[in-house]
Amino acid sequence: MSAPVMQLKGCTVEDARKNILIHDVSLEVGENECVGIIGESGSGKTMTARAILGLLSRDLKLDAKEMTLDGEDLLAMNPRQKRDTIGKKIGFVPQNTVAYLHPLIRIRSQIADGYQKAGRGTKKEGEAKAEKLLALVGIHDPVRVMNSYPGQLSGGMRQRVNIAMALMCDPRLIIADEPTTALDCIVQKQVTELFFQLHEQYNTAILMISHNLTMLKKYCDRIVVMYAGQVVEAGTTEEVFEHPSHPYTKALMEVIPRLDQNPNVPLLEIPGYVPEKDRGRSSCLFADRCPNCRPQCREPLQINEEQTHFSRCVVQA
Amino acid sequence: MKNKKPKFSVILGMVLISIILLLCLVSFFWLPYDPDRMDTANRFALPTAAHLLGTDQFGRDVLSRIMVASRSALLVGLCSVSVGALIGLVVGAVAAMSGPRLQSLIMRVIDGFMAFPGILLAMMLVAVLGKGQINAVIAIGIFMIPSFSRLVYSMILENKTRLHIKAARSYGCGPVRIVISHIFPDMLPRMVTQFSSSIGGAILTESSLSFLGLGIQPPSASWGMMLSEARQYVLSYPFIAVAPGVVLLIAVLGFNLLGDGLNDRLVRKGVRS
Amino acid sequence: MLKILGKRLLSSLAVLFVVSLITFFILKWIPGDAAQLILGTEASQESLEALRESMGLNEPWLTQYGNWLVNLFRGDWGSSYIYGESVRTLILQRLPVTFSVTIFSMLIAVPVAALIGILSALFKDSPIDVFSRSIMQLGTAIPSFWLGMIFMIVFAANLKWFPVTGYVPPSDGFLSFLHSIALPSIVLAIGELGILIRLFRSSMLTALEQDFMQSAQVKGLSRATAIVKYALRSAVIAPITVIGNQTAKLFGGTVIIETIFALPGIGRLLLTSVEQRDIELLQGIVLFITFMVVFINLITDLLVAAANPLICLETGGKD
Repeated sequence: MSAPVMQLKGCTVEDARKNILIHDVSLEVGENECVGIIGESGSGKTMTARAILGLLSRDLKLDAKEMTLDGEDLLAMNPRQKRDTIGKKIGFVPQNTVAYLHPLIRIRSQIADGYQKAGRGTKKEGEAKAEKLLALVGIHDPVRVMNSYPGQLSGGMRQRVNIAMALMCDPRLIIADEPTTALDCIVQKQVTELFFQLHEQYNTAILMISHNLTMLKKYCDRIVVMYAGQVVEAGTTEEVFEHPSHPYTKALMEVIPRLDQNPNVPLLEIPGYVPEKDRGRSSCLFADRCPNCRPQCREPLQINEEQTHFSRCVVQA
Repeated sequence: MKNKKPKFSVILGMVLISIILLLCLVSFFWLPYDPDRMDTANRFALPTAAHLLGTDQFGRDVLSRIMVASRSALLVGLCSVSVGALIGLVVGAVAAMSGPRLQSLIMRVIDGFMAFPGILLAMMLVAVLGKGQINAVIAIGIFMIPSFSRLVYSMILENKTRLHIKAARSYGCGPVRIVISHIFPDMLPRMVTQFSSSIGGAILTESSLSFLGLGIQPPSASWGMMLSEARQYVLSYPFIAVAPGVVLLIAVLGFNLLGDGLNDRLVRKGVRS
Repeated sequence: MLKILGKRLLSSLAVLFVVSLITFFILKWIPGDAAQLILGTEASQESLEALRESMGLNEPWLTQYGNWLVNLFRGDWGSSYIYGESVRTLILQRLPVTFSVTIFSMLIAVPVAALIGILSALFKDSPIDVFSRSIMQLGTAIPSFWLGMIFMIVFAANLKWFPVTGYVPPSDGFLSFLHSIALPSIVLAIGELGILIRLFRSSMLTALEQDFMQSAQVKGLSRATAIVKYALRSAVIAPITVIGNQTAKLFGGTVIIETIFALPGIGRLLLTSVEQRDIELLQGIVLFITFMVVFINLITDLLVAAANPLICLETGGKD
C-alpha cells in the first residue's frame, strides 16, 4: 500500500457529559484506494467522518493521536488552516440532499465558491469547470441546472450536483456519508456507479459510508467494520467478506438477505442492542450479544493493532 | 431531564409575581392610608417616610392606591383569561371534533376575530357593553378567546391522528370522552403556559383600557387610570408617573417570564418524550 | 402560482366578510340606536320614529346589513353624528398621521431588531445574547403609554430633543414633520422590538444549524463568508411575513400613542367614537382598520410568494 492520503489514529469523541461516542478509532485511506465503512445505525460511522471533516458540533470533544491529510497534520492546524486544507483536499457528499445546497441560492452561485476560495481560478473559470463536472456526473443540460434553485431539482439531480461540487477542487479524497440513502432504488444504483466511475477515471481516493454491504463488497478495496463507536474489524474486502474473524462481522454477513433465500425462513437478526454507555471500556463491547462469548472476553483486550487484517476479538485472533 | 435547576428567568418571574401578590394580599388587612382620602395641602409630595411613594394630584397616598389597584388588576387578569380560556377551549374542541363544514365555519369566524388588531376588539366591545370593571373582564375575555381556541384546535388536530386516539375511537369512545380523557392531558402543559402569558397580556390590556378611560372607572383605583390621571401633571411633577408604571411593568413582566419559563420546561420536554 | 394567489385572495375576502358581519352585529347591540343618539333622550316618540324610518332602522337587520354593505361599496361609509361629516372624509383626513407613524416606527424597529437578533444568535449565551433576551422581555412587557410618558418627560421636556406633543403635516416641511412623529414612533418601535428580536434570533439560529452551513465549511469558506452569503439570506426571509402582520397590527394599535402625544390620527378618532358611541363612525373605522390589516397581510404573503417561488416546492421536501 502506498502512502496514505488520510490517516486517523486513536480518535475519540466525547460529549459534554463525558459519554464516549466513538473510541480509539483508527483508519487510513491509501492513494487511489476505496475504503468502505459499515456498521449499524449508531455505530459511529458518521461521527468518524464528521470528526475528520471538522464538522463536530461544538459541545463534542475530539481527541486523536494522529490525523493527517495528504501528509499534512490536521491536529497541528488552527481551525482556519484546517478548514482551508479540508476545502482544498476533501470533497464531501452528504446523505441528506435537501438542505445541503442553500435553497434560496441558484446552483451557479454556490457550486463554485469553494473553488474561488481555494484560489483555483476566477468565478468564470469556476462556473466553466462546474458545467463540465455537471456534464461528467451525467447531467444533460448543465446550463439549466446551473441556473436552477435546488428546490427545482429532483433528489437524484441534487445529489449529482453535490458530487460535482465535491469534485470542484480535484480533491485527494472524497468522503461520502450514505450518499444514496435518500434516493430511490434506480437513482441509487446510478449514483453509486457514478462514484466508482469517477474513482477509476480520476484515481480519487474514496471513503464510503454505507449500510449497503453488497455495494461495498462490489466496489471497495478495503472494508472497516464499526460497532458501538469502535472499529471491530478492518481488512481487504476479500478478507472481511470471505474470512470474517470478528463475530460481529460474521453476524452481519449472515443477516444479508439473499435472492435465493427460502421465503419461509424468517430473516436473521442480531439479538440485543448496541450499547450506548461505557463505550470507553477496554473489554469487548460485543460480548453481551456474542454467540461465542468466553470468560476472557470480559477482560481487557490485548490487540495487535499493526496486523493488516485487524480484528478486535481475542477468541478469533 | 438535564437542567433540573430552574432557570433564572422563571425564578425572576415568580419573584415579581410574588411582589404583586403580596401587595394585593396585604391590602386586604392593612393599608398605609385610606386610598381615597384627599389631602389638598399635601399634593404631589415626593416619597417621604410618611408617604413611601409620594402623593398624587389630590394628595392621595400613591402606595395605598397602587395596593388597592393590584386587586382589580389581578382580578381582571385572572377572570378574563379564565373566561377566554374556557370558552376558547370549548370552541376549539367543537371545531376540531366536528365535520368539515362546521369546522371551517367556526375557524373562519375565529380568523375574523383574529383580524382585529390589538385592543380594537376590546374597545369595540366596551362601546357596546359600556365602561367599568365587569365589562372590561368580558371584553378582554372575548379578546382572549380566539388565541385559545386556535391553540386547542391545532393541538386536537395534531393529536387526532395519533394511534392511541384512533384506538380509543375504535373501541367506541365518543368525541367528548376522547377530548377529555385522551387529548386534554396532552394539552395541559401548553394551556398552562398560554394561560400564564395571557394573564400578562390581559393586565396590560386592562390598564390600556383604563388609561384610555374605557376600563375601570373612578373612584376605584387602577394602575392604568392612575397613569392617565398623572398625564396632565406629568411635565411638572414627573414622579407621579413612575410608581404605577413600574408596578404594572413588574406584574406583566412577571407573568410573561413565568409563561416563557413554563413553556421551556413543560412544553419542550413534552415534545421530547 | 395563480392557484395560490386565488386561494389566498378568496380566504382574505372570506375573512373580510366575517369581519363585517361581526362588526355590524356587535355594534347593533349598543343600547339605544343611532336615531336615539342623534336626537337625544328628550326627543319625542314621533320624531324618533320618523328618523328611524328615514335611516332605514325599521327594516330587518339582514336588510340593514345588506344596505350597509352596498353603501360601503358605493363609497358611502355613513356619516358621523358628532362631527356631522362623512365617515370617509374623517378617516381619510386622519389616515396620513397614523400611516406615517406606523411606517416610521417599523422602519426603526426592523433594522434594530434584525441587528440585535442576529448578533445574539451568532453569539448565543454571550452577554450580547443575555442583553437581547432582556430587551425581548422588556419590550413586550413595558406598557407603551407609560414608556411614552417617560420618554416625553426625559427627551421632550427635559432634554428638549423633540416637541412634547403635536403633529406637523409634511406640507409644513418634511423635517419638522419627521421631528414631530419621531418620539411616538420610537416608543411604538420599542414595543415591537420584543417580538421582532425573538423572530430574527430564532430564524438566524435555525439558519446556522442548516446543512448548507456545513457545506460551506467543508468547501473551505470562512465563517464570515458562510454567515453573510448563506445564513443571513435564509434568516431574513422567514421574518418577512411576521413583519407584515406586525405592521398591520401596529396600524390598529396606535390609539394609545396618539392619545399621549396628541396626534390627530385614526386612533384618536376611534377613541372619540367609542366614548361617544358614534355607531356609524365606529363601524367605519373598525372596518377600515381590519380591511387594512387583511390587505397588508395579503400583500405580504403575495410578496413572499413572488420573491421566492420555491417555498411551495421546498415544502414538498424530498421526492
